[in-house]
Amino acid sequence: MHYKSASERTYQIVIHLIVISVAISAVFPLLYVIGMSLTTKAEMIARNYFVIIPLEPTLEAYKRLLASPVIWNSFVVSTGRAVVGPLLTLLLTTIGAYVLAQRTLPGRGIFLFFILATILFNGGLIPTYLVIKNLGLIDSYWSLILPIMVDSFGLLVIKIFIENLPDGLTESAKIDGAGEWSMLLRIIIPLAAPALAAIGLFNLVAHWNSWFDALLYLNDKQMYPLQMVLKNMLTIDSVSGDSMNAVLKSSQSISTETLKMAAVVIGIIPVLCVYPFLQKHFVKGMYMGSVKG
Amino acid sequence: MARKWQSAAKVKAGVGGSVSADKTLLQSIVKHRTLYLMFLPVAAYYVIFRYWPIALAWIVAFKDLRLGMSVLDSEWVGWANFKVMFDDPEIVNVLMNTVEISLLRLIVGFVPPIVLAIMFHDLASKRLRSWLQSAVYIPHFFSWVIIFGIVFAFFSTGSGFVNNVLERFGLERYEFFLSEGWFRPILVGSALWKEIGWSTIIYLAALSTVDPQLYEAARIDGAGPLRRIVSITLPGILSVITFVLCLSLGNILFAGGEQILLFYNKAVLDTADVIETWVYREGLGRLQFSIGTAVGIFQSFIGMVVIVISNALAKRYTGRGIW
Repeated sequence: MHYKSASERTYQIVIHLIVISVAISAVFPLLYVIGMSLTTKAEMIARNYFVIIPLEPTLEAYKRLLASPVIWNSFVVSTGRAVVGPLLTLLLTTIGAYVLAQRTLPGRGIFLFFILATILFNGGLIPTYLVIKNLGLIDSYWSLILPIMVDSFGLLVIKIFIENLPDGLTESAKIDGAGEWSMLLRIIIPLAAPALAAIGLFNLVAHWNSWFDALLYLNDKQMYPLQMVLKNMLTIDSVSGDSMNAVLKSSQSISTETLKMAAVVIGIIPVLCVYPFLQKHFVKGMYMGSVKG
Repeated sequence: MARKWQSAAKVKAGVGGSVSADKTLLQSIVKHRTLYLMFLPVAAYYVIFRYWPIALAWIVAFKDLRLGMSVLDSEWVGWANFKVMFDDPEIVNVLMNTVEISLLRLIVGFVPPIVLAIMFHDLASKRLRSWLQSAVYIPHFFSWVIIFGIVFAFFSTGSGFVNNVLERFGLERYEFFLSEGWFRPILVGSALWKEIGWSTIIYLAALSTVDPQLYEAARIDGAGPLRRIVSITLPGILSVITFVLCLSLGNILFAGGEQILLFYNKAVLDTADVIETWVYREGLGRLQFSIGTAVGIFQSFIGMVVIVISNALAKRYTGRGIW
């Protein structure tokens, strides 16, 4: 008996140590990046760039970056797409799910098959680019929103959710004379709110983090979202003569590294601000998707 | 008009199946016309942004589409584009890299989340558990651009944390980003860092449905922690493990091009170039539309075939597949 409890205790100690060190390794890099972003050039050189906690923190790098209209402009672009995109996605995805949840609808199976097939198969980069180009969406913000306007996976999750609602609920509403639209607005959407919140947030993060579509479809650098501007500041192959190079030039008080780290932090902060909501709804949504779907 | 529908609904609700049984398909379609109208924008989305590219892909891949030519004007070339794909040593190298990198991702990234999920599940202190979970989920929400920024903070030659440590121990600073040998470990390692926490959720969701009494009974019967993992926990998540494995195998020709596009540079091109980066750089960038499209079709098609096969195998051997 004594032996057994010892093995239980050892097991608990081991898994605590491992899980805690995984959690620390998830958080430490962020603290390190924040520390670097606050360090003066003098301290960097004095401590040979090995700074974890700066002794004389400075906000100089942030002042420099936030003084740049490029950053603000891209911030507005990213916010715009992260609001408009998910709202449109939610609207269409919910409508699609509601229609396909009607068991008596003729053709329902065919529609579902065609939607499922797009999860497994797609046209690829170049044909999609050609379609966007043919539609005249190059250098238009719609090129960042329309191609991902319906969330196929989210549609399936909501469809299953609606199908699992008790039949009496929808039947009685129909008897009371509710049309399809009022049915959707007054009954389905309030009930599916948690699932919709999860899908909305999922798409919000996807929009905020997306940069590749901007690289493909936007030639005009003035239109770039934040992630593209950050990419141009951070990557090694960044083209010289870019508008951000002037911002990144090291000065008397701060080095280029500090400016780059401040740029990373600027990209991280909005995500950390919505993180509590993300975690709450995402995890719930994931559980729902994986348990039911 | 609306009144007529209401009465139809009332009749249906009252009498049950007998009325709808003798309705013809046409009547049923007319009855549901509001629903079809609602569905129209969704259907339009799938036609324009999903099926038009697919149709275009199957045409362009068998033609020789060049700059200044329309798809209709360009010449049919049969399987020529696909032949080029397997003859051109550069593309063959790209295909090999793709398989190697995605297998490496699978090997490195598959087991750790399962182990971590089991540990979270067994953690005695529930409050600590939820704090730690919140911490490990964070990196999942960062964009690849941000992840690259963090990797830069650790591996850059001049100021990277790792190089600072190396120097502290009297070693030379190392140019990690220009090293062919380090490219893949850094790529796969940072992806593991980003996703390890988040990937546990699907397993934890499955484990939340396992009856706690099973553990209690096993404990009373004298089963130790490891024995409980083998006999209760693992069987509880086996179907999810199969599910995740099937999906990962289906992505065998998708090596994470978005991440590589940010991480690679000319010095490591030979080991880093994969289908997605090649299609972007050479296919789109150098206007080799037809070959790029053929490569894309091959990638998507193989992925689908692998998923179908692995799903069939999973069903046969574990009794549960994806569908």
